[in-house]
Amino acid sequence: MLARKTRRDLRRNAGILLGVVAIIAVGAGSMVALGTAQRILEASQQAYYRDYRFADFWVDLKKAPLTVVDQIARLPGVARVEGRVVYDVILDLPDVDQPLIGRLMSAPQTHFRDTINGVCLVRGSGFSADRTNEVILSDTFARAHDLQPGDRIALILNRKRESFVIVGTAISPEYVYMVRGDGDLAPDPEHFGILYIRADYARDVLNFQDACNQIVGRIVPGEEPRLEALLDRIERLCAPYGVFAARPRARQASHRFLSDEIRSLGVTAVVMPAIFLGVAALVLNVLMGRVTQRQRTVIGTLKALGYSNRQVLRHFLLFGLWVGLAGGVAGGVIGLLLASGMMSIYRTFFQFPRYVTHVYPDLLLFGVAVSATFAVLGALKGAWRVLELQPAEAMRPQPPERGGAIYLERVRGLWQRLSFRSHMALRATMRHPGRTATGVIAMALSAAMIYLTLVFYDSTYYLLDYQFDAVARSDADIGMRDDASRAALREAERLPGVDAAEPVLGVACHLRHGWRERRVVVTGLAADHRLTIPRNADLTPVVIPPEGLVLTRKLAELLGVGPGDELTFTPVRGRRETRRVRVAATVDSFLGLTCYADERYLSGLVGEALAMNGVQLAVNPAKRTALFRAVKELPNAQGFSMQQDARHGIEKTLTQSMAASLGITILFAAVIAFGSMLNNSLIEIGDRLREISTMRVLGYASREVAGIFLRQNVIIAAAGLALSFPLGYVLARIVAHAYDTELFRMPLVFRPWTALTTAGLALSFVLVAQVLVYRAVARTDWLEGLKVKE
Amino acid sequence: MGQATDNTPLIRIEHAGRVFRMGEVEVAAVADADLSIAPGELIVVLGPSGSGKSTLLNLIGAMDRPTSGRVLYGNLDLTAQSEPALTDFRRRKLGFIFQFYNLVPTLTARENVQVASELVRGALDPLEALGLVGLADRAEHFPAQLSGGEQQRVAIARALAKKPELLLADEPTGALDLEMAREVLGLIQRLNRERGLTTLIITHNPAIARIASRIIRIVSGHIAESRVNDQPIAAHDVSW
Repeated sequence: MLARKTRRDLRRNAGILLGVVAIIAVGAGSMVALGTAQRILEASQQAYYRDYRFADFWVDLKKAPLTVVDQIARLPGVARVEGRVVYDVILDLPDVDQPLIGRLMSAPQTHFRDTINGVCLVRGSGFSADRTNEVILSDTFARAHDLQPGDRIALILNRKRESFVIVGTAISPEYVYMVRGDGDLAPDPEHFGILYIRADYARDVLNFQDACNQIVGRIVPGEEPRLEALLDRIERLCAPYGVFAARPRARQASHRFLSDEIRSLGVTAVVMPAIFLGVAALVLNVLMGRVTQRQRTVIGTLKALGYSNRQVLRHFLLFGLWVGLAGGVAGGVIGLLLASGMMSIYRTFFQFPRYVTHVYPDLLLFGVAVSATFAVLGALKGAWRVLELQPAEAMRPQPPERGGAIYLERVRGLWQRLSFRSHMALRATMRHPGRTATGVIAMALSAAMIYLTLVFYDSTYYLLDYQFDAVARSDADIGMRDDASRAALREAERLPGVDAAEPVLGVACHLRHGWRERRVVVTGLAADHRLTIPRNADLTPVVIPPEGLVLTRKLAELLGVGPGDELTFTPVRGRRETRRVRVAATVDSFLGLTCYADERYLSGLVGEALAMNGVQLAVNPAKRTALFRAVKELPNAQGFSMQQDARHGIEKTLTQSMAASLGITILFAAVIAFGSMLNNSLIEIGDRLREISTMRVLGYASREVAGIFLRQNVIIAAAGLALSFPLGYVLARIVAHAYDTELFRMPLVFRPWTALTTAGLALSFVLVAQVLVYRAVARTDWLEGLKVKE
Repeated sequence: MGQATDNTPLIRIEHAGRVFRMGEVEVAAVADADLSIAPGELIVVLGPSGSGKSTLLNLIGAMDRPTSGRVLYGNLDLTAQSEPALTDFRRRKLGFIFQFYNLVPTLTARENVQVASELVRGALDPLEALGLVGLADRAEHFPAQLSGGEQQRVAIARALAKKPELLLADEPTGALDLEMAREVLGLIQRLNRERGLTTLIITHNPAIARIASRIIRIVSGHIAESRVNDQPIAAHDVSW
């Protein structure tokens, strides 16, 4: 009997419940979606790493004999080691003006799938037995340029232009996220590709007979905690051969991006649902309080008839349970749809041989169970209140609401200036603090979500502006394979289309301060440099003094030094003499651990007069094509990049995913704000049927009556909005702090425009909800409302 | 809006009927009613509960439409008006008093009157309207701080504030004791006599009918009797 009553109560309150169910559905949906995406990525990552033997460490060297590889293999804890040749070159594609960067990697002629970081063939057949000048291209690069197996590609190797036949396209666990290295923010498949060439051929043509310049290895399972110590030993072993970098898996760029994404999905999969289900519980709490209040006569009667407290309680909890189940099941469906949408975005970022796609039934069940739990918790308090009533008392209708002055009325000047409709709205707001608080919390969370997303959107663009417009002011950068003299600078100045050229000296080195140590690249800039201007976050330029280093604030923090302190500097080149150097200043930076010095001073530190290994150019855009042609012929060039192209590549990749996340955030935020507002308004309309009816009889139009509820919602929204900004600010700081790594720091930009947009969106939620409020008011049977007895 | 002049009736009901469909059953709440109300009359409609008197009041008050026949206000056919036009009509022409006062609990007496006075141009000042019902000194009280009689007087002030041409009262004393009822009826009678405010009271209480200038008896949706009362008694002589 009571079950039937539950069903009918649910049906009667369907309109109001829709809001709660929607919030629960979004909560459960985000849990299922994020959880599913996280598990798929994690499972795909693990399967890939296992099946293709993802390396545990990388050592970059100048040139080491292969015998050292055997020595490393004998170290305890090492499972397998391989030496290979990795060599950046400039690529010349027939239909592309711009010189592109290719990373040559040596691979065995057969069984290249079985090496460490095995090469996974996507298209084509692999190397043939008889031909040597064959290449397997990274799949994204091939697709970006519409290259097929059978096509030809030209590159400059050891000052000779060589033509290669593409025999396949491939992916690799090293490049799940196709970035060149630590400094890259996003994949740029148009301008960067991997080229696997036969190892014997590579050694031959690049002068690495029985030698390598990169060692990759895997450790015995269980040795992970001792990896850093092992790497130290390997570094000492390799020291004679010039170690540029030694990286454990944890610092490998692709792995780091992928793992960070998986980790952050895991965190979001807890935080988002918690917010939504929490709000749903609050809203349901308000709603159930009202439902039980309205049904107190019925409850009293049931009790008088002999229903036990437990039966009545169960009846009302069932009400909550059904709401939770409905939301949970809807959430499951939403979650799966959302997960498939997310995976289609991830597919463009992360290259796996296969995505281990799954529907995880336990996740779905958990989503439903958590939804139901929150909903029952939400229903608990309202139901509990009724139990405290004695049957006779419960059967008596509730005493009429008392009117009374609220605090604001003491501000007489202000109060008297407000219309009676504002008085009604304000008093109603103050009269139900729980209801109002729920509305304010929901709006605050909703707006904070939007604000936070917009702040990150702004911050990302600020970061791009900072990096590409303010700090790196050159149009094009050329990287050189070997140190060059001033003659190379003059050569660069004479390249077609070059308005100005400045030398750059990059020196890989160890910086030590006490027991703290970091391996970084110091960038040496000419005394009159204008094409790279180190700047603080507020864009004020930082002057590079003639002596001493300028450290990124993060690097200074990691080394525990400040301006005036001394540290030791050991270059990974030349005679490797350790010198004591002074920290001249610190500077902000958001990417990597940059460090600057005067070019002449830095040359002196490595025992040279005036060296350079890169050149930055200011280019006349009209003559780009001529420059491109000339750069392709430069024998000593191993890297080339156009700042604006790089920027556009990043923007293209980031914008797509940011737009998707912004869209979903706004949608979710709308559901919270909208659901809670609608719930509050419909409850208020139910409570104030007599007022509405009376006003309608007096001659107020539905629109005017609905205006009172609009005022009420605007008050609540404004309060929520006021809270959302500090809340969003604190959340942004927390998230930025969580992202504060050696690799990346988030500049936080809070623009008034962002706050305004947030407020505008919040207001639009109120207005959309108002349409439904208006319809509810217009549909009110006010003749019936007048008959309600007190 | 049609204007009522002295020689035309203010309200004319012509063969009006109102049928409610309750599921499968049709119930005629009012059937074939004919009635005209002249300006300045004080009419009491008497009938037991369920007789259709509230439906009749709703038809006159433009809160409901007849399913047959017409309701005219002056020369204006209310039956033919749009919903917004009816809202506007109620706004300008009518004052309402309800059995349970229907004051907004979250507004003070003055603000409750203001709810009405803000609706029309040239309305009475809320304090002036409260003065007319003798409650100027309780203007800042909330309904919960007033007695039933006082609340009903606030409701009357609210009705008066719009300077209505017709006052409709649905069981105005239904929730009051005799003393308060006399007070409220006296007020209605005074407004009718001094200001010529056409008034229609519906009630099930025959004692009240004696203050009317005309008594209409309604039985099962039919107007059974319409009788002019030559000697209405003063409200303070009413007793039951």
